Amino acid sequence: MTQYKPFYPAMVNAVRQTLENMVFMEVMEQQPPYSDIAPENLAWSSMMINDPIQGEVRLAVPSELLKQITANVFGLSEEEVTTSQGYDILNELLNTIGGLFMTNLLPDDQEYKIGLPTLGNRPLPEVDDETLVWHLITSEDEPLKIYANGESLVGIYQSEQDS
Amino acid sequence: MKRIIIADDSATARMFIKRCLQIIGLGDAQILEAEHGKEALQLAKEEPADLLLTDLNMPVMDGETLVKWVKASPKLCNLPIIVITSAGNPAKEAHLQQLGAHRVLNKPVSPPMMMDALSEFIED
Repeated sequence: MTQYKPFYPAMVNAVRQTLENMVFMEVMEQQPPYSDIAPENLAWSSMMINDPIQGEVRLAVPSELLKQITANVFGLSEEEVTTSQGYDILNELLNTIGGLFMTNLLPDDQEYKIGLPTLGNRPLPEVDDETLVWHLITSEDEPLKIYANGESLVGIYQSEQDS
Repeated sequence: MKRIIIADDSATARMFIKRCLQIIGLGDAQILEAEHGKEALQLAKEEPADLLLTDLNMPVMDGETLVKWVKASPKLCNLPIIVITSAGNPAKEAHLQQLGAHRVLNKPVSPPMMMDALSEFIED
């Protein structure tokens, strides 16, 4: 039986390490009540996890936060940032977070396969029984949310809770 | 002047790598950017390069296939390759090194990681 590492911190640490290293931004877990991101002010990306477990992870951020990050990374003013630059950063952040999450979750010698991130071009799917949400917040009080979905992936968390 | 090829389908990832190269003192290198392995291979064939930095997960031609193509080419087989990936682990790393990759770095790459990986290739 595969010995997974703790599920919830695997994602928190992946997000924290990614944002600190890539965009020099501190992120922490948010305590309730959680901040919502208005649908009209939200950008999100999703990526499939293909092997050895199956699932999907999504990263959702406020559009304004994405614009700030993009301006910072490309050395531009927020007015100069293009939509495609912002979307590319969102996808790259999720790609890195997803890989680190798997590294943090799986045993050290376990190989895994993840898909390519794709931009969400429809409303963010509703949170159902098979979806876990990480409510995070930046040091500048901007909310950031991660969703994990899929029976196989979320089942690891549920097994962890049951044991 | 060093000639370095960066292969990654993400403009953001290429930007991060370029920034790392600048921080570690390679800001004056000639950087050639490719969006996938096939484009990187073409660039490498056009003019000799000193180093190839490649992502794994790319459309058209992925990084693993690129490593195989480079190492199978008599003209390119000595080109040092560093793979930068978000899907790395010891087993994958060993496999890529067996194929001919010199180093495998896991994203997010920091300047010290890059410095360590490139030190043997950037001495002059």
